[in-house]
Amino acid sequence: MNLFASKNDLIRWLDSLLQERIVIAPVRGQAQIVFQPISKVEEIAFDFDNTTLSPKGWFLPPTETLFSVQRDDGQVELVPTLVEQDAVLFGLHPCDAKGIALMDKPLLQEPGDALYRERRTRTALVGLACRQVQPECFCTSMGSAPDDPSNVDILLTEVEDGYVVQAVTEKGKALLPQGLVEYKGKVPSPPKPQAVPIKEVISVMRELFNDPYWEQLGDRCLHCNICAYVCPTCYCFDMRDYTDKGKVERVRSWESCQSRGFSLTAGGYDPRTTKGERLRQRFYHKLLYFPEQFQDVACVGCGRCVRACPVNIDIREVISDLQQVMEAKSGS
Amino acid sequence: MDTELIQQIRDKARSLLEEGTVEGVIGYERASDGVTARPFFAYKPSATERLIFDETCAHNLVKYLLDRRGKKMAVVVKPCDSRAINLLLNEGQIERDKVFIIGVGCPGMVETSWNHKSETLQAKCRSCQLSKPLVYDFLAGGELERQAEEETYSDVVEAEAESLATRREFWLEQFGRCIRCYACRQVCPGCYCPVCFAERLEPLWVGIRIAPEENELWQTIRSFHLAGRCIGCNECERVCPVGIPLSLLNRKLEKDVKELFAFQAGLDADEPPPFATFKKEEKLELGE
Repeated sequence: MNLFASKNDLIRWLDSLLQERIVIAPVRGQAQIVFQPISKVEEIAFDFDNTTLSPKGWFLPPTETLFSVQRDDGQVELVPTLVEQDAVLFGLHPCDAKGIALMDKPLLQEPGDALYRERRTRTALVGLACRQVQPECFCTSMGSAPDDPSNVDILLTEVEDGYVVQAVTEKGKALLPQGLVEYKGKVPSPPKPQAVPIKEVISVMRELFNDPYWEQLGDRCLHCNICAYVCPTCYCFDMRDYTDKGKVERVRSWESCQSRGFSLTAGGYDPRTTKGERLRQRFYHKLLYFPEQFQDVACVGCGRCVRACPVNIDIREVISDLQQVMEAKSGS
Repeated sequence: MDTELIQQIRDKARSLLEEGTVEGVIGYERASDGVTARPFFAYKPSATERLIFDETCAHNLVKYLLDRRGKKMAVVVKPCDSRAINLLLNEGQIERDKVFIIGVGCPGMVETSWNHKSETLQAKCRSCQLSKPLVYDFLAGGELERQAEEETYSDVVEAEAESLATRREFWLEQFGRCIRCYACRQVCPGCYCPVCFAERLEPLWVGIRIAPEENELWQTIRSFHLAGRCIGCNECERVCPVGIPLSLLNRKLEKDVKELFAFQAGLDADEPPPFATFKKEEKLELGE
């Protein structure tokens, strides 16, 4: 059953959530829109196309201390980082929710990532259906949709004067306020993003590993980490121990396969030395290795990398290029 | 778009490839948004038909020559980009006879973002004093009349007037946004250390934390490595995904170097940057 919340209902509800939980929502900053903890409802940016960074940072922060070690009187104590508060991630679009569902696959798989699991368990996802799509959006090709409720606890769809409220999970139901009335009107039909031929490409990826296409594409790649850091599904990280006067902290930070040091091994061997090889790894992980391991493409079609790449490496174009490369190969 | 200029670039690129003068031509083509431009590498004469030039061709293509050391390449170079050629020649990173420079007279670049082109000229273009590249082998489009504003460093002067505490607060807030994607370094023609200090483990200069203090250290050392070397293409600021005003730092250092040493990077390939030279008369006497 769909419920209805007026704009005032929504504000009151968010206010009450703020009393007992951390609320993370899209906030308009100086040069970007990002998900961050808010202290009052007015901070929320309701009208945004897509945030600069995805909300993955709430679950896998850019930097976090995994544990610290304290030495006292010859005793060594391991102090784990604790996740102490419940949270609500408010206002994420269905593509970003799918991104979180995809990160769950490697990070919750046994034995699982303890901190990620804790944050996931203690955070409810309140999604916001997209009213419009951008030219770089292609979520429907990646198994989601602008109104996809499948990876959130509650989905809101904006209508005149308020929101249609869909409680998707028990966690979502428990979070909703009492007294919302049933919504009997029509739910607006979702906008249509463009389609990319992803299914055709996955089946031929194996045959294109040694194709000169990758070195050509690598020509203009700068090998910065923008694409990976704005991506809602990239989850690679680096770790380092910080030691200072007997105190040790194990820290992890985002890292990406585009970095020079990413694949460097002890002894100095690097299996991926050329720009094309590093760039190829990005697309193979997303379009072949991840699907083989977890039965889903590691891309949600949010278009962030398309928008943010300084040299226009466009995953939609790569997908259609690969199809053409394959057609040319089988034709010759 | 200046179709005549584009035709000149294409014709030159085509003949260079057909004659085998170069292995490839680095220029611009239309990006996938149909509005802006992106770097393009032409290796076959037929590919030169994709080359374009307009007010969205902001990328400084000279950076790509560093990936092609030892190979003969042609590169499309705007007046500002030509300073990067001089910098790299001076620092021995490229060889003049290996590079064919297709210079372009430049009308100035506009502010762009994905799928969007504005009418606003980039700040660096408003005060650009160069009517043609400082060094080239072929000049497409000829020299352009420019009505440049005088370079007064007004943004820097304004920032300098603030108190130390205010400046520190400002920069910590700016660097707090940095995600250490290193796009600023990757795009910079002056950043070519085989192993960047940011990735050196021994000695360890800066940690991996993506957090204000370490970001600040990263950005401070990055800009200081470019003191007297930054050629002002402002590519670092243009590519920054979180909008950090890096030009303010770079231009502060440029202004200081200009005042202290009467030097601007990349204007002359034969004059080394102040921090790579030592003049006898600069030697301090004992106790000085």
